[in-house]
Amino acid sequence: MDNEKLISAQEDAQDALLSTAVNESEAMETSAESAGSSERPNRLPEGYIPESAKPVVHEVKEVGSGMTPKQAMKIRMQSMNKQEIAYLRRKAVFEKCWPIFRFLILFGLGFVILTPLMFMISYGFRDNRDMNDPTVMWIPRNLTLKIMKQTIDAMGLTNPISNRQNPIFNTLVLNIGCSFLQVITCAITGYGFARFKFKGRDILFGLVILMILVPTQILSIPLYNTFRNFMFGSINLIDRFAVMYLPAMMANGIRAGLMIFIFRQFFRGLPKELEDAAYLDGCGPFNTFLRVMVPNAASSFLTVFLFSIVWYWNDYYVSSAFFLNTKTIALVLKNLDSTLNLAIFNNANAQVSAREKIVWLEAGCLISITPMLILYACLQKHFTEGIERSGLVG
Amino acid sequence: MKIPYEKRKSLYGYGFISLWFVGILLWFLIPMVESFCYCFMDNTSLKPDVGGMHKEWLALDGWAWLSNFKYAFAMDPYFKQNLLNVLKDTAMTTPMILVFSLFIAVILNQEFKGRGFARAIFFLPVIIATGPVYNIINGDMGSTGVDSGAQFSTLFETDIVDELLEFLGVMNISESLSEVINTVTTDIFGLVWSSGIQILIFLAALQNIPVSAKEAASMEGATAWEYFWKITLPYVSPMILANFIYTVIDSFTATDNSVMSRVLEKQLDWDYAYAASMAWSYFAIVMVVVGIITVFVNRFIFYEVE
Repeated sequence: MDNEKLISAQEDAQDALLSTAVNESEAMETSAESAGSSERPNRLPEGYIPESAKPVVHEVKEVGSGMTPKQAMKIRMQSMNKQEIAYLRRKAVFEKCWPIFRFLILFGLGFVILTPLMFMISYGFRDNRDMNDPTVMWIPRNLTLKIMKQTIDAMGLTNPISNRQNPIFNTLVLNIGCSFLQVITCAITGYGFARFKFKGRDILFGLVILMILVPTQILSIPLYNTFRNFMFGSINLIDRFAVMYLPAMMANGIRAGLMIFIFRQFFRGLPKELEDAAYLDGCGPFNTFLRVMVPNAASSFLTVFLFSIVWYWNDYYVSSAFFLNTKTIALVLKNLDSTLNLAIFNNANAQVSAREKIVWLEAGCLISITPMLILYACLQKHFTEGIERSGLVG
Repeated sequence: MKIPYEKRKSLYGYGFISLWFVGILLWFLIPMVESFCYCFMDNTSLKPDVGGMHKEWLALDGWAWLSNFKYAFAMDPYFKQNLLNVLKDTAMTTPMILVFSLFIAVILNQEFKGRGFARAIFFLPVIIATGPVYNIINGDMGSTGVDSGAQFSTLFETDIVDELLEFLGVMNISESLSEVINTVTTDIFGLVWSSGIQILIFLAALQNIPVSAKEAASMEGATAWEYFWKITLPYVSPMILANFIYTVIDSFTATDNSVMSRVLEKQLDWDYAYAASMAWSYFAIVMVVVGIITVFVNRFIFYEVE
């Protein structure tokens, strides 16, 4: 049975091949004829070369055949064996269906990611009474800015800058300064590890890996002692910006290990000839780094700087360990629950259930992440593609 | 006297890392050794004081040696239980995060309309999840039932996941299987939100696959399925290991896991010696587990360079 089928299939295929050959020669003639009779005699401008004078160029796929691509495909498929056809069919089905599946997957998961943001916006601008209304799900019934204003007051964002009670001022000073210093020092360290051979380099680099692995929680109490009795007990650094600035200045701030690692990988990926040329021209190593390597690493610098800003912005553990009266935005947000209890719910008139309290908390979240979201929206390319280009992999 | 070139270069190397070295000595190594010593000290010799903490380093009776560890493993009612729970959770979520993030990275690496937008959304957790915002929204959404399927479940008065399992006929085949499926489905929020960096790293690895490999595969008529197993997976395998380590470390240092929160709780109680010994034994156990898995996985990894 199978053999007969096979033979008949082969014969079919041969017939098909023959017929295609005949078809092609016929089609050649017809196309030549149709080209000969010019179809647009009325609209010919002067100096127009008639169609017949031009060389006839068809698409390579169906040279000379007057067939539509579909017909051509049909004929071609007759000369294929079963496996090839099955492969093509599977491929076609997959290519048709996959985009739909992909859209569904991405849409569903994207929804999961965006839900909290929509949640914040929806809850941050509604009155707390809406929380007890079962008909209100996403769209608030009583739109109001009251909750936002109260939260801003409770977080102390309206405090005067001078007395260091203003979280915005503190956060910005710490954030930008520390990130800037840390990126520079980490880049220098990473370059040292990437391009110089010295004794004990591998062991020292092992320390960098250890920096990534050891959680800050283990170190916080000895560090507190160090800062409290800095320089053998002569200086008390607790509650000063120095507790963030000093480690950042020495490439040991928040997630510094990861940053050194990224820079080292990046500098290793740059061609060595760049520096060799500079050395030959009599440029010292530090000058080479400054004038040759840094300009090449600009995008990588920006990416790491952005991540550093995000990490400093989000940090509350380190700042809660070393700051007593200095408030940062993350710290304020972390303690928002208790702050609200003091500021708003403490008077007898306000009776607020735990469910209603969510409104204030969400407003606080919205306030604290908005700057990061704006930064991300504007510089999204540098966040994501910088990492890809930085040679983190490899 | 002239120093030879090689030697001079190595000296410059020391110069480049010297700043960091002073830093790591001051802010990392000394505190770490100090914290390590706390493990072996008696808590009474580590009293909080006006000037930070009162330490009796040299007093011999201040040392408790191994009794802190003995207490943690033999007497503490919470520590061992918490430790087991955390290890079990990590063992369950880590493979899920890896598979999920690889899957998403493969999708985000394809050409389609709106890819930039999709990427922007999927990397959003990287920006937010490290901060306090994540904990708040996680708690709030949990308490209002907006996360997971709870919202729909209450709407239709059923448990959608269980219904689906029953419909497929896999309900109650095995207790642990149902449990795993339930964890996956109820914690899809946590899964998506904790795999931002992993997606980023996988995507970077995917873009490093040489075009020639892709061309060769399509010449030979590889299907997408074959392409994934024969080309994609070997090329990203080093990054699977890196992502594995990152995920484990990330979940292990998270302040909301039960061991870490107990350590922090003890720290707040001024019980530094005990907190330090718990933290260090926890750290050691996790490192040993990671080390063993790394050595094991390393055999199956394809390194292009070597």
